[in-house]
Amino acid sequence: MSNLPSQKDAIAAALALYPTRPFAVSDIGSQTGWLKAASHDARNLYVSGPMGLATSVALGLAAVRPNEQVLAIAGDGALAMNLTSLATIFGAKPKNLSILLVDNRVYEFTASAPTPTRDMDWLAVGRAFFGAERCMRLSDLTAERWAGVARPAMIVADIAPAPNKPPALGMTPAMIRAAFLEASKA
Amino acid sequence: MAQAGETLFRSIVAAKPKLVTGVPDGMLAQTIMLCTASPDFPYIACAREEECIGVASGAAMAGERAVVMVQNAGLLNSLGAFATMGLRYGLPFVVIVTNRGALADPNGYDIEKREAFDAGVRPMARVFDFDASHLPDDLIPAAFKWAEAARKPVILALEKRLGAEAAA
Repeated sequence: MSNLPSQKDAIAAALALYPTRPFAVSDIGSQTGWLKAASHDARNLYVSGPMGLATSVALGLAAVRPNEQVLAIAGDGALAMNLTSLATIFGAKPKNLSILLVDNRVYEFTASAPTPTRDMDWLAVGRAFFGAERCMRLSDLTAERWAGVARPAMIVADIAPAPNKPPALGMTPAMIRAAFLEASKA
Repeated sequence: MAQAGETLFRSIVAAKPKLVTGVPDGMLAQTIMLCTASPDFPYIACAREEECIGVASGAAMAGERAVVMVQNAGLLNSLGAFATMGLRYGLPFVVIVTNRGALADPNGYDIEKREAFDAGVRPMARVFDFDASHLPDDLIPAAFKWAEAARKPVILALEKRLGAEAAA
């Protein structure tokens, strides 16, 4: 048995760092399924677009809701597909956006095939973009410490591969959009 | 083209978007610089065009107006995002595309981009075509009105046309 947390528990722990519920924008498949299982909420935006786009969608949301905290949730396979979004976020400097990177070193929805980044140091990658003071491991964070971290910021969570996929989302795009539109009204 | 860039910028401002995002193309450079300096909305400079579709989708999911500015090759790189975000969720954002490789714009490296745009983009999305040097003042407000009525993104393809610069 691995000592690493599950993806569901890591997402729940990251959300618990915030004093009030942030908007959570999850990548397609694994992150969306586990976000729903961990903490279904109207402020969740379940993205069904291309893998890795959650960080970009979250940046757009953060720009139009500057007084709200936004947490993008990306897998290691997903973020590797949109690594340039870290450069864009660094340049845009949103004061309300953070990224939770959940690293299980496999494509969970694709027969758990290994990711090309499985030996990569994601903490070093995040720190290269945002600096050591804005990129840290989930296991080193407390709510008090997280409250003092300037944004944009990144949390790296090493997680255990799940034996099974998360439960199905059970929501159509129209349902997702309508619920989120209501929850994100200015 | 400088005047057209200002016209496009004014039209964007008139539509009151909550954000504008893009990746530069020579035909869009002046408008992008004006957007970057604008106090009316943030301009988010993306490293890659597919990100722009994601950024616009994030704004549109919250019910806000967003404008994307990219070249045709960049939109071609972004069709998966355009389809699975813009079309799947019915998001009414406006995409301004410079459709390079026109008869009056014959750079060899642009020709195939234009042919791929015609073959790949037009069958899946509504594209309205315009002479880049003669843009209507109400272009972007009208585009949002159309997209919001249609409940899907709209593409405005701007191109160089023969004789247009002299006429301008």
